[in-house]
Amino acid sequence: MSNQLRIALWALGAPVSVGLIGLLISAMPLIDSNFFFTWGYYLEVVTTGLLTGVLYSLVALGFVLIFKASGVFNFSQGAMVLFAALFFVGFMDKWGLHPALAFLLTAGVMILLAMLIERVVLRPLVNQPAIILFMATIGITYFLDGLGQTIWGSDVFTLDIGLPKDPMFLMEGTFEGGVMVNQFDIVAAVAAGAMVIVLAFLFQYTRIGRALRAVADDHQAALSVGIPLKTIWAIVWSVAGIVGLVAGVMWGSKLGVQFSLALVALKALPVLILGGFTSVPGAIVGGLIIGAGEKIAEIFFGGYIGGGIEDWFAYMLAMVFLLFRPQGLFGEKIIERV
Amino acid sequence: MSQAEASPAGPAPGEVLLKVDNISLSFGGVRALTNISFDVMKGEIRAIIGPNGAGKSSMLNVINGFYHPQEGTITYKGETRRKMKPHQAARTGIARTFQNIALFKGMSALENIMTGRNTVMAHNPFTAAVYLGPAKRSEIHHREVCERIIDFLEIEAIRKTPVGRLPYGLQKRVELGRALAAEPEMLLLDEPMAGMNLEEKEDMCRFILDVNEEFGTTMVLIEHDMGVVMDISDRVVVLDYGRKLADGPPDQVRNDPDVIDAYLGVAHD
Amino acid sequence: MIYREAGQFKTSYARDGGLYPIRQDRYGLIVLLLVAVFAVPMMSEYWLVTIFLPFLVMAVAALGLNILTGYAGQLSLGTGGFMACGAYAAYKLATAFPDLNIVLVFLGAGLVSALVGILFGIPSLRIKGFYLAVATLAAQFFILWLLNKVPWFVNYSPSGVISAPPRAIFGDIYVTGATATPEAKYLFALAVAALLALAAKNLTRCAIGRSWMAIRDMDIAAEIIGIKPMATKLGAFAISSFYCGIAGAMWAFIYTSSVEANAFEISRSFQVLFMVIIGGLGSILGSFLGAAFIVLLPILLKNAPEMVGLSIPVDVIAHIEFMIFGALIIFFLIVEPHGLARLWQIGKEKLRLWPFPY
Ligand SMILES: Nc1ncnc2c1ncn2[C@@H]1O[C@H](COP(=O)(O)OP(=O)(O)OP(=O)(O)O)[C@@H](O)[C@H]1O
Ligand SMILES: [Mg+2]
Repeated sequence: MSNQLRIALWALGAPVSVGLIGLLISAMPLIDSNFFFTWGYYLEVVTTGLLTGVLYSLVALGFVLIFKASGVFNFSQGAMVLFAALFFVGFMDKWGLHPALAFLLTAGVMILLAMLIERVVLRPLVNQPAIILFMATIGITYFLDGLGQTIWGSDVFTLDIGLPKDPMFLMEGTFEGGVMVNQFDIVAAVAAGAMVIVLAFLFQYTRIGRALRAVADDHQAALSVGIPLKTIWAIVWSVAGIVGLVAGVMWGSKLGVQFSLALVALKALPVLILGGFTSVPGAIVGGLIIGAGEKIAEIFFGGYIGGGIEDWFAYMLAMVFLLFRPQGLFGEKIIERV
Repeated sequence: MSQAEASPAGPAPGEVLLKVDNISLSFGGVRALTNISFDVMKGEIRAIIGPNGAGKSSMLNVINGFYHPQEGTITYKGETRRKMKPHQAARTGIARTFQNIALFKGMSALENIMTGRNTVMAHNPFTAAVYLGPAKRSEIHHREVCERIIDFLEIEAIRKTPVGRLPYGLQKRVELGRALAAEPEMLLLDEPMAGMNLEEKEDMCRFILDVNEEFGTTMVLIEHDMGVVMDISDRVVVLDYGRKLADGPPDQVRNDPDVIDAYLGVAHD
Repeated sequence: MIYREAGQFKTSYARDGGLYPIRQDRYGLIVLLLVAVFAVPMMSEYWLVTIFLPFLVMAVAALGLNILTGYAGQLSLGTGGFMACGAYAAYKLATAFPDLNIVLVFLGAGLVSALVGILFGIPSLRIKGFYLAVATLAAQFFILWLLNKVPWFVNYSPSGVISAPPRAIFGDIYVTGATATPEAKYLFALAVAALLALAAKNLTRCAIGRSWMAIRDMDIAAEIIGIKPMATKLGAFAISSFYCGIAGAMWAFIYTSSVEANAFEISRSFQVLFMVIIGGLGSILGSFLGAAFIVLLPILLKNAPEMVGLSIPVDVIAHIEFMIFGALIIFFLIVEPHGLARLWQIGKEKLRLWPFPY
């Protein structure tokens, strides 16, 4: 199936499935008379979920970039989000820098970090089995979590870069009371969307992007046409670091900059499973599905089983999904050979 | 069929052990096999030859139950086989070596060969955990069987060596040992002599012929070295682009004009 | 003592297949056990409670994860979940059947965890590697959530904390709960850990262990030579979870005496993973070395600055500990991916050849 066709299918299928699931849930009051359902409220839940999902996508995107270019499953993407957010908020709060300056400075830190990781961790481990590299990134995770907090402390920082926080009502004509969404979420979604588009553009049309794709397809081939693998790795890790920074700023503004940010970022893992490890559209779609799915599950059904199911719903969804489609939504089915 | 007749333990000549009928296999758009039919007699050494990408390994994978052909049937020991998993096929007496060495790198040569006997060993975790009585007896008994194979293959000196450290030729030998350990009725050998020097090839030929003669093991052998094929095989199937080009005794195949064109011709260019 | 195997000829496959074919190893182990049984209990309560108990408990957990990840090659990040399973199963069993022998309680806890392990191992039949690792996170988060949400698991205790009831062996020697003496607890934990280690060693050196390693090293070839992937993988999940479950029960009943589900959150899973990596994947000895290392390191870090007269705030130490752990993991993966156990091995080989290195 061509990519365009697939995207068209998704664009059509997604609203239809949202509608169908809504229909199903709208039948719930028949079973439980206390069940609250209006379409306006349902859409509100879906929208909030989708907007959170965009942020999941953003973190997942960092994973995909690295996985595609280096075959490394970077468990530390979540830690990079926290690390970047800590530096950003630290530069702003403790050094009193302007947000834009703080952002640039942090981006610099992330690039430095990427170069260090390439030099100190990846280069010595090149040609090791993937699982060893994966575990090394768990080591990076711990190191970054520790380092970030050693430098900046472990208080909860509030991060305010002046984004609007007030709720806003959409489609007031169609639904009674309208659909309430947080303006901040919209800004975050737009920023994330812009980030995705920029990355897709870079990947598609720049020389470096082409090199990256060549590496993703075949390391040996990329080497033989003279692309320095080390540079490429440093670049993808830098880009992933900056993606992490954007995600960190967004999540941080939402939840405050604190250790739990690293855990939120773990949610990007089920997103990846859903979307397939190597697919940029997969990361985006997966994030949206997980974001909306867990919100719907929590709000409408969580109450029946004690709430807090957002903790695990994404993982369970991904796991059950895997049983039926091990390669993920956008992954190619591979028949192994001997 | 000279081998089968020469061997006193061998079965009555002419008994068909395996028959594949009209096998077609494709991966997405790639047709790896198209309408392949041939049979393997009990006790014979059957070679499959053909240029790279002809579908030889895929054919073995089909017999192993690792690939499932879209069309065709496999009749093994007189029964038409239903779709089966590789480990089930192994339990019907089919053993295999691989084109790219597929040893278990974390284990020693002996352990690899012992693993080959997994089909006949008990896997009871309770007796294994205490390692007294049945588990110990079984380990010792199977160890004895494996030691005989080790003696036969002349690899006594390296039995405790992790296989990753062995040179290529010895690894191939250990892999043969692992397959023999299952005491198979049919042995599928995917390029057992690829990348070997002359001496190693001679050794390997000797092992193959000995096993065939002593135990009457049926062999299906993929090999690129035409000399070897002509020397040791009873009958030869030639594949090219997933189709069967020729089938018959080595002499006949060698003189088949299609084969000369498609295969030998190319090779001699 | 000179470490040599020269002159020790094995005259039978039974001897060659023995646990410790080299005589000095055998003696070494016996001495070690004697010290563990007779000398260690004489140490102060501080040593027993803060070092030896957690060491033994975590060593059992590390054995469990090593079976699954080190031997069978199935990466799991759900160890904490399976430990929690065992802790709570033991609690439910012990409180529901007050007369049940504590050994049976532990076995029961292990079996319950094994069942749960099989359930969460099912994805391993379809997926591998990182995909599986992520799927095991489902076990981690779901089990903890369940234990936190369903009051039945804590016998409706409002605090959500479970307190291990005191239970005795041999009539009146209390080995669990807050009232048991540290010595009794230690010896009981030692016995459990030693027996489980022996069982693990046995399992891994026979047909089952070879099947695990075959699946780990090359799963396709393994299946083609007849190894049943489903039985092998689920078996590994079951046995691994059995060990982790018992470790969880030991944690709740012997080490801390009272515990809440959050003691087994994801950082516990990582802790055990680190032990296995640092100690050595696919090594029984490594599980113990890794556990010792990870248990001792924080204690060392806490005390070292004081000893040199520095005072560093506790939370900074915690962060530095994170950094050191992370750095060590990377260091070990780069320098010796086979962990401490391999270093030990290399040391022994050097010694065996000494003083003639060729
Ligand atoms: N798992 C697979 N997925 C996709 N294509 C495959 C797979 N296995 C084999 N093929 C394709 O099927 C064709 C036959 O491959 P096969 O490995 O059977 O050839 P072969 O005769 O063994 O060649 P060689 O001499 O190089 O080993 C090739 O075109 C190959 O690319
Ligand atoms: Mg081949």
